[in-house]
Amino acid sequence: MSSQLLIQTIANAIMASSMYALIAIGLTLAFGVMQMANLAHGHFFMVSAYSVYALYALSGWPFWWAVVAAVAVGAILGVIVERTIFRPLQGDVVSGFIATMGLMFVFEVLVGEIWGWGLSRPIPSPHMGAVRFWGAAVSFQRVLLMPFAIVSISGLLLFMKRFRLGRALRAVALDPEAAALQGININRMTALALGISGAYAGLAGGLMSPIYAITPSLGGHLILPALIVVVVGGMGSIGGATLAAIIFGFIMTFVTTLVDGVTAVMVSVTVMAIVLVIKPQGLMGRVIA
Amino acid sequence: MRKTRFGKLSTWILFAMVLALPSIAFSASDKLTQDEAVILSHLPDQQIGKTYPKGKEINVGFLAALSGPDAGWGLPGVTGNSIWIEAVNKTGGLLVGGKRYPLKMYKFDDEANASKALQGARQLVLQHDVKFISAIGGDPANATAPFLTKHKVIYASLVPTDMQPSRPYVVAGGDVTPQCNMFNPLMAKMILPSEKELGRPLRYALTTQDDIMSRQVGAWEIGAAVSQGYDIVYEKFFSTDTTDFAPIVSAVLATNPDVISLCEAWPEYQTLMWEQLYLQGFEGVVAQNYADWETNLTKIPPEFPAARGAIDSFPLMDDPWWGENSWQASFTRIWNKQYGPGAPEDVHRRMTGIDWDHVVWFIPWCIGAQVAGKDTPGEWPSNDAILAALRKMPSFATILGPGHMSGQEMFGIQNMIEQPVPMNMFDLKANDKRIIAHMNFEPWFEAIKPVVLKEVKKRGQHWTQRK
Repeated sequence: MSSQLLIQTIANAIMASSMYALIAIGLTLAFGVMQMANLAHGHFFMVSAYSVYALYALSGWPFWWAVVAAVAVGAILGVIVERTIFRPLQGDVVSGFIATMGLMFVFEVLVGEIWGWGLSRPIPSPHMGAVRFWGAAVSFQRVLLMPFAIVSISGLLLFMKRFRLGRALRAVALDPEAAALQGININRMTALALGISGAYAGLAGGLMSPIYAITPSLGGHLILPALIVVVVGGMGSIGGATLAAIIFGFIMTFVTTLVDGVTAVMVSVTVMAIVLVIKPQGLMGRVIA
Repeated sequence: MRKTRFGKLSTWILFAMVLALPSIAFSASDKLTQDEAVILSHLPDQQIGKTYPKGKEINVGFLAALSGPDAGWGLPGVTGNSIWIEAVNKTGGLLVGGKRYPLKMYKFDDEANASKALQGARQLVLQHDVKFISAIGGDPANATAPFLTKHKVIYASLVPTDMQPSRPYVVAGGDVTPQCNMFNPLMAKMILPSEKELGRPLRYALTTQDDIMSRQVGAWEIGAAVSQGYDIVYEKFFSTDTTDFAPIVSAVLATNPDVISLCEAWPEYQTLMWEQLYLQGFEGVVAQNYADWETNLTKIPPEFPAARGAIDSFPLMDDPWWGENSWQASFTRIWNKQYGPGAPEDVHRRMTGIDWDHVVWFIPWCIGAQVAGKDTPGEWPSNDAILAALRKMPSFATILGPGHMSGQEMFGIQNMIEQPVPMNMFDLKANDKRIIAHMNFEPWFEAIKPVVLKEVKKRGQHWTQRK
């Protein structure tokens, strides 16, 4: 591997890791608080991406305003889903799993009916150019992901550690009953968690909408890598998901470059299996006694 | 007296009916526009304006990806088939064996998925009794072949590599794949500096998604590239689940190719690959089977493909190359009237090279039915008879020019249309592709055949090797 290809591949891997982290971070937060996997998380992403399509590509809004709207759409979806699905099914992991799986189809069909099935919706790149350094080139749109990923993940970690609401979220994630005894409103916390989770999916969907081919089935393609990242990182661990996103991003990118894309998927799933065999709770997950 | 009055009245009624007959006969064709009449001129015996007994409705199917990343090769084709069916039905139906048979199309979205394609084939045949299916091919062709062979239903694939002697009803070649892919290395050589100037052989890279269609077409294209003296520096396939094309393009660029072929890359992938080629600064020639510039140009500036000598096939029907009075210009006008901006069925996009890509085999099937129908008056001929009739014809009209049946040598069965192969390049002034040449495939293939076949066999993609 030449030095130029190495630099380009590292740059590609960093961008891929940022993408995986942005998608997975909301999913792991929701899992930590709710103890249920929101399989429709990828569809929050997809609906938010379509919001950017409708506002930016069709209605001529400035791209960044459309992204802000996408974040709001994601957050609102999260709160609605918490109120209508997760809250009534609290504690029932299997029903929650099936309900969110059903929700995937609902979102897919709704979006398909509104914006049409068939051809993907091309979203013009708002920044059609590349950042060049040491012979490597990365699109502006991808470069933007890294600071957003760093700021949003750090912000979330800070919020969870330093703010009262964040600490309350952590308390609910650790032991909901004990948290309730301390006067924490569990329902409000789960709504907050899903709202933040949805907002993160909205941010990821909005920012990445010009990078992906936007179709109603996009959410289904994204949920598998997001779940791999969350499971490898340790369900509910923000730090773990970030670490796993970096590992997954580097494996996928390096193996794709050196061997091919098909082998890359095989290798990353194998690594996930090995990690889980060695550390069933994931890289930074808690061992539940 | 009463009887006489009634007799007079009936005479007048009869007289009025006789007078009305021609207008009844022409009422259907009244609505036929001049452009639709031009479209129908490919039929050898349509007898527009003449009345014939009506036959039963003949159903045809459209079994292709209507959603998902492959939809760009399926969905737009519905418009071309619909335009043809509407024009035929306005004349009362397809005239076969002295009867007019109205045509009706049923669609099924197989999402380029083999099991869904089989489900669709079953539904189209068992529920709707379709006789002919327009399709994309590849994995769905493999999945549906045994069922459709049993029911003797024609499956018109976009790729002749789906054809085999064991699949007598799989036909292809309408859109000149893989011939156009095979011409890509030759066209690129016309643009690039010569080996002598460079002091080394030209370098050819090919990457596309890992599906049966790409494996097969890729083998023929690489064979042609080798025959033209290229060094093959990259030949890899990526997963159909790929969403990030940056590492794939980085890996290809690391081999310093003079030509990168995106081969059969699905339209969605192709746009994202073009974006990466632009961002990572590729400076050679880019070739592909089909390029949709309306979508690609949402990600890259037009100057980039113009500078890269972007080569593909699938000409646009509104390319001025065809001329104002051509079949293609008539097709364009009908399409714009029906599907263009503000039209009754506005599809909110420009006409692409796929809008005609499926009707390109549907029309010869209708031609074959008319010719075969002469031997079976009053009956719709079998698909065996239709194919036999086409094979006997030295030449018949196709959208791309005069065609004939071929394919025995390449695919073991004479089920491929051979016709002029149009090659396009991106044109900055037009902001779209434009035809630059029409190539004659057969004599060229004859000259390079030994090398090409060797490479195809090396990759296990010759029809004798595929099970």
